[in-house]
Amino acid sequence: MKFGRQLRSRFWRPRVDEEVDAELEFHVEMRARELVERGMSPKAARDEAIARFVNIARVGETCRALGKQRDNEMRRTEYFSELSQDVRFACRQLLRNPGFSAIAVITLALGIGATAAIFSAVHSVVLRPLPFPNSNRLLSVYEVYRGGNGNVSAGNYTDGVEPVRAFEAVTAVQYSSFNISGRGDAERVIGARATAGFFNVFPMAPARGRVFTRDEDQPGRERVVVLSHRLWTRRFGADASILGREIVLNDRTYEIIGVMPPAFDLTADNEELWVPIAFTPERKAMHDEHYLQIYASLAPGATAAQALAELASNAEPIRKNFPRDASSLSFTAVPMLQDLVFNYSTRLYTLLGAVGFVLLIACGNVANLLLARGAARSSELAIRSALGAGRARITRQLLTESIVLSIVAAALGLGLAAFGIRALVAAAPAGVPRLDQTTVDLTVLAFTLLLSLVSAVLFGLAPAWRAARVDVQTAIKQGGRGAAMGGVRDRLRTGLIVAEIAVALLLLVGAGLLIRSSLAMQRLNPGFDPQGVLSARISLPAATYSDRATIVETLHRLAEAAARIPGVTSAAISTQVPMAPGGNGNGLVPEGKTPEPANLISSRLRIITPGYLEAMRIPVLKGRGLTDADRRGALKVMVVSQALAEAAFPGQDPIGKRIGCCERGPDKNTPDYKTIVGVTADVRSRGMGEAPSPEFYLPTDQVPPEAWTWIQNTVYIVVRTDLDPAVMTNPIRGVVRDIAPGVPVFNVSTMEQRLRNSMAAAKFNTLLLSLLGAVGLVLSSVGIYGVIAYFVTRRTQEIGVRMALGASRRDVVRLVFRQAAWPIALGIALGLVASALLTRVLSNQLVGVSPYDPMTFVGMVIALALVAFGASLIPASRAAALDPTKALNR
Amino acid sequence: MLHGTLDALILKTLTWGVRHGYGIARWIEETTEAAVVVEEGSLYPALYRMERRGWIDAEWGTSELGRKAKFYRITPKGRRQLAADTEQWTRFAAGVSKILLPT
Repeated sequence: MKFGRQLRSRFWRPRVDEEVDAELEFHVEMRARELVERGMSPKAARDEAIARFVNIARVGETCRALGKQRDNEMRRTEYFSELSQDVRFACRQLLRNPGFSAIAVITLALGIGATAAIFSAVHSVVLRPLPFPNSNRLLSVYEVYRGGNGNVSAGNYTDGVEPVRAFEAVTAVQYSSFNISGRGDAERVIGARATAGFFNVFPMAPARGRVFTRDEDQPGRERVVVLSHRLWTRRFGADASILGREIVLNDRTYEIIGVMPPAFDLTADNEELWVPIAFTPERKAMHDEHYLQIYASLAPGATAAQALAELASNAEPIRKNFPRDASSLSFTAVPMLQDLVFNYSTRLYTLLGAVGFVLLIACGNVANLLLARGAARSSELAIRSALGAGRARITRQLLTESIVLSIVAAALGLGLAAFGIRALVAAAPAGVPRLDQTTVDLTVLAFTLLLSLVSAVLFGLAPAWRAARVDVQTAIKQGGRGAAMGGVRDRLRTGLIVAEIAVALLLLVGAGLLIRSSLAMQRLNPGFDPQGVLSARISLPAATYSDRATIVETLHRLAEAAARIPGVTSAAISTQVPMAPGGNGNGLVPEGKTPEPANLISSRLRIITPGYLEAMRIPVLKGRGLTDADRRGALKVMVVSQALAEAAFPGQDPIGKRIGCCERGPDKNTPDYKTIVGVTADVRSRGMGEAPSPEFYLPTDQVPPEAWTWIQNTVYIVVRTDLDPAVMTNPIRGVVRDIAPGVPVFNVSTMEQRLRNSMAAAKFNTLLLSLLGAVGLVLSSVGIYGVIAYFVTRRTQEIGVRMALGASRRDVVRLVFRQAAWPIALGIALGLVASALLTRVLSNQLVGVSPYDPMTFVGMVIALALVAFGASLIPASRAAALDPTKALNR
Repeated sequence: MLHGTLDALILKTLTWGVRHGYGIARWIEETTEAAVVVEEGSLYPALYRMERRGWIDAEWGTSELGRKAKFYRITPKGRRQLAADTEQWTRFAAGVSKILLPT
């Protein structure tokens, strides 16, 4: 019966409208005829027959509606029954050729798995919204400083940002480190001082207790702290009775009032506690000192443009009223997520692009496999076609096979992706925000499914379409050799090879550029000698170490005690060491120039004890380093880096010249001038990938008291030794325990390790792209091998004839190579064009190498050509080894 | 007519052979000696509904008078439905009889 319904629906199916009309008309006629027989006039009989329906139009309507539903259901049933037939048939086909299926599935699974793994990282880091309901309305607000985004001062925040009506909530945050002491070892954690608006901008209910209020964000009432889930579990063992207890932060006691849930994880800073920032009125009036990170949430309905307009109009009176500190003030705002992940998104998208190319190559290979199999199956398909299956029906059947193949591969690929993600997260450099939260979630699953369907169409459509276009008679006659469409298929297969080679070259050039850049980076001079140096960070709590003299004296005692550690050849204190966090920057004015923003040279400050340059082996190029004689009351001096000397006094001898910096001079109107006594080599403090910035060194004794606030009393102890520097860790802890009891030592690391870390991100990227390049190379050479081998098989007879007519083995090899040469050459040409267009995306990751570096391009072309010809060598030698008699008899 | 009874009557009619809509109506009227009159307004919607449910199956053919007509045939699913309907009817009729028939 079901079969009958299907048959009818396929062969003869009147439209429902006609069907109902005809059926009712038939009824009316029959009834009228019956009534006429009983003696009615024909007209009256017809009227009566219609009247019996009461409302024949309504009845027809109902029937049409029911009939349409019936047809729809039937079509659906039919579709699914065909689909399940196709799927079952596809599975049988794949199982019948296990070798083919395994190769295709593995190739695809590698491509899909790698793509899914990289995609999940991109999704986790870049695409996923922040875990707040207002995540798409969150902005970071900055002051525009020298064309970049700078932090905001408390005064500018209070007068300029807080009053913006387009913001529903706004907060100012200062990230700083806290010594947690009492109960257990002293420990150092990153925390945030924030205005009470923080928990409105980032609305999430605390897991326990409460968050702090506006009332508590006041001087004198601010001794309350909210803990992160991580800190609560790690340090307090997830103690449920923690609320109301007191902890000591930087020698002050705070009451614990709340614990946030684990999902409250905002930034790469990974702060672990929050306390009120409690601006004093003086602080709120301070328009200099830019140290605040500002986050805001747009009011519902308000736009970022409105907020920017308000910020601009608020800046105007500030510029007027505070010409000295804010004469050039202007604000900008960027979406917070973009701000957070901007540095990583380009890199991740580059990787995603690269892995997508690998997937394309994999698809190309599978398409070639399918083409070969389509040829082998041509008689089967011809028979199906002769039995009435249309071209569309056969294409659908073959596409279903591709999709089944692809979905099996995707399932396997997801398994690979899960491994890949774990490896990726473990190998990735530290500090990529949210990367550690990468998992295979629903989005990744959906992406993978989509990926497999797209791949199936990519690799399956052309072969299916070709295979479905069989000439029934020839195909059956040829008994499956399938040479009928040979020419066309060859062009398609060769085209695939051309594309694969082009994409592989693109990947190789990208990887090659990054490798060259890595090598160049390692050859760069960091400006100091990292070997044998250990640095460790300490922070003196402001409550205990409040006045300048105590701080400076403690630092000197620390440096002296560190120098006495056996094995230490020199020791010093610096507020900042290269490739490490922290530090402070100042705007410097060379003497003779007015202190307007255009004349300021933005420079990094290092406050050092005399032995620092020696301990780091930062060469003094001119003049002298700092000495013990540079004390308070003596001539105020500074040592500048070469970059600063050139920026301040281009083409002149800087020794003896003066630069204004850091405080007001005795007359209160000009900056305080310091005399340059030495020039050092430049140090690549921000990492090997970045050009050295201007730096200056001041003696601990001569800096103004505020300077210790800028750097939050936080310094590095640096020791140089001829031994393994790592063994100095414990002696340094001992020195700090003796001289500054209760102060934790943190961020302990050898300078070599810091240097390595600074290059970790670049190395990681290079490694991944090289891996992808290698996979692309292998896959495309497998593709070349497959096509050339197919070519040799197809022309076996011809080769036999040639050999019989006297062609040498060398001629045969040449014939095969000639066949291989032009797709390889064309692929390389296209690949070069694509590389020239696309390597630009790498340009900001490249150090010391142009994105069009000819060495890399030429080198990779040669490498690819060698591998490609190598791949065609195997079938070529097989052809040369043919026995002409056997070949002719095939 | 009682709800659901029409479906059962149509199915029962079709167990005697293939019929078009008019034929079904006539057959029921003749067999019940016009005690049951099938309203056309209910008959055709019922036929389409049952066809959709797969109880009956339709095919176009030529009528006894040489006209194209839509002929219905009962399906195995329809037979099962008829059995269920019949049993339900029997129980219902027995119940009603217990009240109405004793004097």
